[in-house]
Amino acid sequence: MLTSLYVEGTSFLHRMSVRAKLAGLMIIGLALFLVANPVALGFALLVTATLYLRLGLGVGEAFRRLRPVLITIAFFGLVNVVVLSPHEALTSTLRLLAILFLAASVTATTTIADFIDTITALLVPLERLGLMKAADGGLAFGLVLRFVPDIALRYAVLKEAHAARGLTLKPQTILGPLIISTLKEADSIAEAIDARGIRGQ
Amino acid sequence: MITRDLVLSALFTAIIIVLGLIPPVTLGFIPVPITAQSMGVMLAGTIIGARRGALAYVLLVVLVAVGLPVLSGGRGGLNVLMGPTGGYIIGWILGSFATGYLSERLVRDGQSALLQAAGFFAASVAGGIIVVYAIGMPWVSLMTGTPFSKVIFGSLAFIPGDLLKAAIAILAARAVMVGYPLLPQRA
Repeated sequence: MLTSLYVEGTSFLHRMSVRAKLAGLMIIGLALFLVANPVALGFALLVTATLYLRLGLGVGEAFRRLRPVLITIAFFGLVNVVVLSPHEALTSTLRLLAILFLAASVTATTTIADFIDTITALLVPLERLGLMKAADGGLAFGLVLRFVPDIALRYAVLKEAHAARGLTLKPQTILGPLIISTLKEADSIAEAIDARGIRGQ
Repeated sequence: MITRDLVLSALFTAIIIVLGLIPPVTLGFIPVPITAQSMGVMLAGTIIGARRGALAYVLLVVLVAVGLPVLSGGRGGLNVLMGPTGGYIIGWILGSFATGYLSERLVRDGQSALLQAAGFFAASVAGGIIVVYAIGMPWVSLMTGTPFSKVIFGSLAFIPGDLLKAAIAILAARAVMVGYPLLPQRA
């Protein structure tokens, strides 16, 4: 149901550590905002787009993934031509596209497990301060991914119940039952977690 | 935060993801179909309260960041967060907290249905619309260079739809308040 955006591969980015990739993305992203020269930004775009397209995604899939953000960027590009100037519109569009391809490259070359491990490691200092348990993060993500298919099934059942009664599907008639029936399970799930001592108390 | 609060937040995140998977519906007089997911901020705040609601959105934003296509239309990944509208996604966390914070204070058991609905509506508008736009709009302006005044002007087009979403969210929040109250027991 939820397929990760990760793509198998052995490129330089695949082999880099998650922390280095995230730090690099942040630094390059911020640095591009200090550049206002369209030629330099165009070069940056060429580099990141080449990086992204060489990850082995296939052009169709590579484009399909980014389509919603590409549409947003194109929209603001057109708005900027009118409200600012074509020059400024070009600069900001090139910059946003360069960041887009870099961010998409990091996403496509990092597995979810590696990401979660890195986040858990970054949470350890918070645990030392007594603010939270680092392991709770992993538990919470596990719960979300575990219950998405269950809730989707529950939605399908509610949809059939509507059809059986000749009702049209409206958010106001489906949200209440969907949310109540899902959240009612929280007690038994929490008991099961505590009974197994997963949070270690 | 006890285990039950953690579980409630995680289940709510899962509900928000499922709301993004179902096809958009057309509501009343608004011609553009809306996705049920965009009501999530208001729903999370009014139903599970400030802290649990915000945690549900922290989990969602992290899932987006790690590259799961959990947003409506199969969007996900760092490119969404670092794109022009990434500020709205960050704004959801604070927006659900604000909605929850106000709901916890405005809405109580034993109030009349109308008063509860009014409290939920005020909380949804303040948290789900004002706070979210207050973070999303400056971000758009910073990222794209479009002047802030023009961004505000353009955003006005979304306000009627957002008010309609708040109206639907309060119906759901009231249904849960009656059927399985979670808001009064704060996390």
